[in-house]
Amino acid sequence: MDFRPTPDQAALMTALERLVEPFAAPPTDFRRFTLESEELESQLEAAEFFDIAETPGLGPVAAALAVERLARLPCTAEVALSMLVRPHLRNGRWPRPLAFVERGRPARFLTRAKTVLVADGEGLGVAFLSRGNAAAVNSLFAYPMGALDADVAVKALEPEEGAEVRRWLRVALAAEAAGLMQAAIDSTVEHLSVRQQFGRPLGTFQALRHRLSECAVLAGGVKWLALEAAGTQDSGAAALAAFHAQQSAARLTYDLHQMLGAMGVTLEHPLHLWTYRLKALQSELGGHGAQAQAVAQLCFP
Amino acid sequence: MDFAFDDAQATFRTTVRRFLADNLPGDWEQLAHGPGSASQTRFARDFCGKLARAGLLVPHWPARWGGRDADPWIAFILAEEMWGAGEPRGGQYMNVNWIGPTLMRFGTEAQQARYIPPMARGEALWCQGFSEPEAGSDLASLRTRADRHGDGYRIHGQKIWTSYAGAADACFLLARTSPGKNGISIFLVPMDTPGITVRDIPSLIGEGDIHEVFFDDVAVPESARLGGEGEAWNIVRTALSLERVGIPRFALAARMLERAVASLKRQDRFGPHAHIGAARARAACAAARLYSYRIVDQRRHGETPGAEASAARVATVMCEHQVADFVVEHCPEALSGGDALLLAHHQRAVVAGIASGAAEIQLNLVASQLLGLPREPR
Repeated sequence: MDFRPTPDQAALMTALERLVEPFAAPPTDFRRFTLESEELESQLEAAEFFDIAETPGLGPVAAALAVERLARLPCTAEVALSMLVRPHLRNGRWPRPLAFVERGRPARFLTRAKTVLVADGEGLGVAFLSRGNAAAVNSLFAYPMGALDADVAVKALEPEEGAEVRRWLRVALAAEAAGLMQAAIDSTVEHLSVRQQFGRPLGTFQALRHRLSECAVLAGGVKWLALEAAGTQDSGAAALAAFHAQQSAARLTYDLHQMLGAMGVTLEHPLHLWTYRLKALQSELGGHGAQAQAVAQLCFP
Repeated sequence: MDFAFDDAQATFRTTVRRFLADNLPGDWEQLAHGPGSASQTRFARDFCGKLARAGLLVPHWPARWGGRDADPWIAFILAEEMWGAGEPRGGQYMNVNWIGPTLMRFGTEAQQARYIPPMARGEALWCQGFSEPEAGSDLASLRTRADRHGDGYRIHGQKIWTSYAGAADACFLLARTSPGKNGISIFLVPMDTPGITVRDIPSLIGEGDIHEVFFDDVAVPESARLGGEGEAWNIVRTALSLERVGIPRFALAARMLERAVASLKRQDRFGPHAHIGAARARAACAAARLYSYRIVDQRRHGETPGAEASAARVATVMCEHQVADFVVEHCPEALSGGDALLLAHHQRAVVAGIASGAAEIQLNLVASQLLGLPREPR
């Protein structure tokens, strides 16, 4: 048991910090729902960050740490599936970016995805796309969303591979949610520290201090559960991490927007970039009800 | 990062489990009800003696005091297994966790020689004289006085909600030696000192757990004072930081959740609605476990945990709450005589956010120290 990053993991995170620095500041003149950076994705690819889960000395925990860190950025990129799910697909290295489509709904990063995982009930399938198989859709979610053509050929994964992929989809969801939550909390802390009402900063009012502290404890729990699931590679731990992420996301998005007041309703404030990504994650993989069912099966055999 | 225990840690856990299997009596689940009850107190004295003789009471203490300098993980695994089994050490867990270590750090040689060996042998029961009718979370406002009198002190005042006081041998007492926050001192007071009266307070926790303790002109020598006059705050802060992650409440909560789910499954009542409650409680237990492990890991690496310890406590309170709620909703019969251990857990969970300091104080610490929010005006 050791909760400190290994020297290799620490070095990786230092390198990642350098890479993300130009992308870290919220945009100053931004009025849209979605902020995506293909440049960030290119730089991650060039620096071989999408291979870290398979790199000796780094592994899935390092990948989960990287996913969490990158999710804290104001801009988004297709990172979590490439870093945490793609290494576990068999039959070679499938082309990235990846997307995950459920029940024919619009999905994140679909318009640029080259590999698509398709959920069909309990089963999972895979499809390979060329540009033109998916159409962009307007969405409140702060991810680029797209809809898949109905006639795309989907090849079913073997049940065993499907179960493994589902496990890593859950880890990826939890790791990304943990970063989104942290960034949203940081943004709320800044607002509560600066915004004054009744002659003092909002953050001095105990009602808000306690509420935000509880959010922070929940978010920290999501991070630890995600890292543990990545480290132990246990399906029950992964289901638990995704469940906790989706349950906590519901509370955090409401609470943090409440604390931001009208400022959080505007598109000029970046809070929605993280909270509306969290809302997108809330429904994935069947939502928290499906995760609870998986927890019931895997953790209470 | 590594989320697995090493072989030595796993072996130690097995050793502790085997000891428990060999030494907990068949009616232990009935005994576990009422952590401060006379029957459990008697049992705990016997049990802690056996633990001590097996080298499992204070393995993390220095060799000089009967331990073997085991690292914080060993201490925590021991605590997990004990609390997870319903805490057969009774109130003696306090000695092991913080009273003993606090005396080692701040006590005089005479105090150490008098009080530590009985703790290491599993023969001593302590209570902590902190809360008062007018001083709970605002501990600094306590009124119990220790007035200089000749070579010693005379203590006047009242403590309340004091666990284990009815059977305790000694009290780790906070009393005021001068006005203000820096006027509080600590006294180590044998409970049979003339002038001390203990009255049981019937409570939700169970028989014999909390008490009022009255100090009526109680004479103690100067040598009963731990540390200098007015040093209580610093010493207590150290002691409470040990206490805060000292109780792995998540261990019993997680086991009680498994027990409740197993019961529901036997009755074919573990359906989709219960799945959500069980997952919520399980996630809360896992989060509390990981938060607590993080603190243990910091200690192991020689770091001093800061507000992370407060976050761990809040996470622990959340998990107790979730498991207790799950049992109330899905296994309500447990609270009506249907399951002694689920009942005992529920009674302990009631005070998870209250005992050893209100969780709201921890939320304030998280807000100021972890999040960096501006402090409240005073």
